[in-house]
Amino acid sequence: MAATTYTRLTRTRLTRWFAVANAPRVSLWLGNDHLLQVEHDGFGETYKRFYFRDIQAFTMAESPRRAIWNAVLAIPLAGCLIGIIVSAATGPNWVIMPVWFIFTFVFGLPFLINNFRGAACSCEIRTAVQTEPLRSLSRVRQTQKVLARLRPLIAAAQGQLTGEEVSVRMREAAGQSIPPQPATPQSAPPVVS
Amino acid sequence: MNSLIACPKCRAWLLEDVFNRQALAPCPACGVPVQIEVFPALFRKIAAGPNAQPVMVDGESSCFFHPQKKAVVPCASCGRFLCALCDCEFGGEHLCPACLDAGKSKGKIQALEIKRTRYDSIALGLAVYPMLIFYFTIITAPMALFVAWRYWKAPSSLVQRGHVRAIVAIVIALLQIAAWITFFVLAASHRI
Repeated sequence: MAATTYTRLTRTRLTRWFAVANAPRVSLWLGNDHLLQVEHDGFGETYKRFYFRDIQAFTMAESPRRAIWNAVLAIPLAGCLIGIIVSAATGPNWVIMPVWFIFTFVFGLPFLINNFRGAACSCEIRTAVQTEPLRSLSRVRQTQKVLARLRPLIAAAQGQLTGEEVSVRMREAAGQSIPPQPATPQSAPPVVS
Repeated sequence: MNSLIACPKCRAWLLEDVFNRQALAPCPACGVPVQIEVFPALFRKIAAGPNAQPVMVDGESSCFFHPQKKAVVPCASCGRFLCALCDCEFGGEHLCPACLDAGKSKGKIQALEIKRTRYDSIALGLAVYPMLIFYFTIITAPMALFVAWRYWKAPSSLVQRGHVRAIVAIVIALLQIAAWITFFVLAASHRI
């Protein structure tokens, strides 16, 4: 069998931040007839393939990660900016000022990148046998670009559905398979002591 | 799995308004913006596999694994006759379960590989990390050289092919060995 050639879809993303060396990373690649998720664990790689003909759904939900990072970075950044203003107001000190500028850069650059990359999200892919998180897709804009690239490939493999068609089929399926609500206390049988 | 989709955030069943809109839309239950792309495979019924037919005529080819079942196809790898039950169609080829398993365990079928060891990364790690405590490099530099040389032809990453890491590891290890040789020569001539 001929070897598949892969095209990179996402850059490698750390999945755990506080690893000393060889932090686990994950990336997404496009094959001829499948999507490949590569999990790098330092000295090895684990592969998960999602064939276009088997992909049932992609789900993406906006997450508060950008706001959390903004809060984490904004506090020291504001401190550095106040430090610069105070230093400038009390007469420029050419020893202290560069230190403030370095720290402003250290916190300001990730702050700008975090906002430039747009809203954060978490993404999952579903097949008949699994629902797998796609951890390398962490931003809405990036995920939508990847989806725009994958949509025609999946449509070529298995066809397309409109939103209305999906809703109709969902309602049909819901009639058969939505699990029943748990029994309320009123409808529960009386306790016999 | 059923053919319903739950909100990725609140896990409430989603029934309408959010599917295949190619943009974010609020979840009717929790209000979190979600985007749900659904494909026809979600509603596809999984067909039952074919049943193997019993041998009806004496002398008719039978399956290698089930002698009482009629052979329908030979294995593309080992040539054994297979019944409909043992015929595993994979990548356009008909294989027997044993060849499929061997292909997976020996890495002969790329599409079945789920793990690869990156020997080039091991060599690079052996060359770079011990530099934090330089004395270790007297042992690890030859080890890095050996790993890079021994596994030069071993399959590298499935997605990033090439020998860049191994070459970098060899260069760093050679520099470390050269540094140690210089150190010992100078020590022997009493200059240190």
